[in-house]
Amino acid sequence: MKKYLEIAKAYMKAQLIWRSDTFVDAVLAVAKILFAWLLWSILFEGKEQIAGLGFQSMISYYMISFYLFQLEKSAEISQQMTGMLRNGTFSKYMVIPVQTQGYFVAMEAGKIAFSAGIGFFTTVLWFYLFRIPFVFIADLKILLCGIAMVILGLLFMALFNYFLGILTLKFEEISTFLMIKDNFCAFVTGAVIPLALLPEGLTAGMRFLPFYYVTYLPSMLFIGKCEDEAIMGLFVLSVWCIVFLVLNQATYEHYRIKYDGAGI
Amino acid sequence: MKNNIEFISELIKLRLSHIMTFRLGFFGPFFINTSYFLVQLFAFEAIYGHIDNIQGWDHGEILIFIGTFSLIDSINMVICFFGVISIPEKIQTGDLDLYLTKPVNPLLRITFEKVNPGAIPLLLFSTCIIGYGVIENGMCLSYANVIGYLVMVFLMTILFYDMELLLRCFAFFVFSVNNLIKIEETAMDLCMKIPGIAFYGIYKFIFYCILPYGMIATLPTQVLTGTLSAKGLIFGTAIVCIFTCIALSFWTYGVHTYESASS
Repeated sequence: MKKYLEIAKAYMKAQLIWRSDTFVDAVLAVAKILFAWLLWSILFEGKEQIAGLGFQSMISYYMISFYLFQLEKSAEISQQMTGMLRNGTFSKYMVIPVQTQGYFVAMEAGKIAFSAGIGFFTTVLWFYLFRIPFVFIADLKILLCGIAMVILGLLFMALFNYFLGILTLKFEEISTFLMIKDNFCAFVTGAVIPLALLPEGLTAGMRFLPFYYVTYLPSMLFIGKCEDEAIMGLFVLSVWCIVFLVLNQATYEHYRIKYDGAGI
Repeated sequence: MKNNIEFISELIKLRLSHIMTFRLGFFGPFFINTSYFLVQLFAFEAIYGHIDNIQGWDHGEILIFIGTFSLIDSINMVICFFGVISIPEKIQTGDLDLYLTKPVNPLLRITFEKVNPGAIPLLLFSTCIIGYGVIENGMCLSYANVIGYLVMVFLMTILFYDMELLLRCFAFFVFSVNNLIKIEETAMDLCMKIPGIAFYGIYKFIFYCILPYGMIATLPTQVLTGTLSAKGLIFGTAIVCIFTCIALSFWTYGVHTYESASS
């Protein structure tokens, strides 16, 4: 465990190299907030609620989901892995005395820990500066459930992207697929629009998939909606995490022998 | 002019033979764009499923709007997108030297050297969406409307290219244009969801005069539905001319200040 903590710490420190990028990202969040405000103020004209959400709830949802979406950087794992497996530099992860899956999850945790703090601070700052009427939950239990779900969601996405990275060993070129995956992931996690806007039948089906619980449900919990889904959400997401932990281990063991160290 | 056309034709031939070597690369942009397009379409349907109309535009007109945006984006993707987005990298690495020392217009070469037919099927999808919007709206199209629409799509494609070029030319003066590109993406994402007629006040000024993505699909849609005034038509044409002049001047100025990879 100590080794993984050290890896996380090293990557957290490495993020300081890109501090200006992190700062600019935080500033650019203003543009996103303003644009979300503009979009929904136009769409809410003459309406009290859309899909059970009032204007203030909708803006708060966008602010929180945008923050969570920015935190989730695990797509880098699959991109990095596919690049390294193809050019033969993946060997460096195979020779160190840690599990590769654990290494990449720890790396992700370190990166997230750095951007989570700064992102949280700037999000609160923008709420305050722009006097955005923030709708937030007061129930501590639901708040803790939401936080646990965010952590599990980030873990799941890291495991999922690690799995896709391993598939490079079988399919050799997966970068096109990864870009398509990014497009769909943004939608099914609720980062593009709240999933409450979709037909009920579709969202009912999505509740069995983990993506529903990565951005959408935690954001809804934080604005005091869908509270009855919190426990079930934690359970479904935990099951998916366990499934991918096992699947990743088995897939890696099965395909790693295809890697000859000289690239594909 | 004739030489330029021959040159473009040779570039396209070379490009086609190059991308046919990598078959997945040939179809890659098609699958990526289709997925992006589908996501936008789902998002659009989800949002507008809860709204009857927006500033007088009903479902049919909004469909024409989103189809037009996608059409212009696809035309751009087929012709010049992959060339123009490589400008910052060429400036940073000094590869632009190779373009400046050849006896052809470097911008012409960059624009047409990475033509990608992989996005052509998207043109068809976009046309289907527009057709569906026209049917849903129950419109009776005249030749004048259709020709006007095609001319306006052409003008807006140029404007789209101008914006793309303008933002990438900042790479002549700064180390990285990534954050400018993020602004471009955010603005485009917004303007793909809301027709320009819905903007008001300062937002209208920003999305019509500074980052004119707001008019890119709005004006052609207005021409097709016959709701664009003469004033709007002149304004749209003037904005295209102004941005084309600014983009070309900025490119020329950037090339003059370019000091190879050390710049």
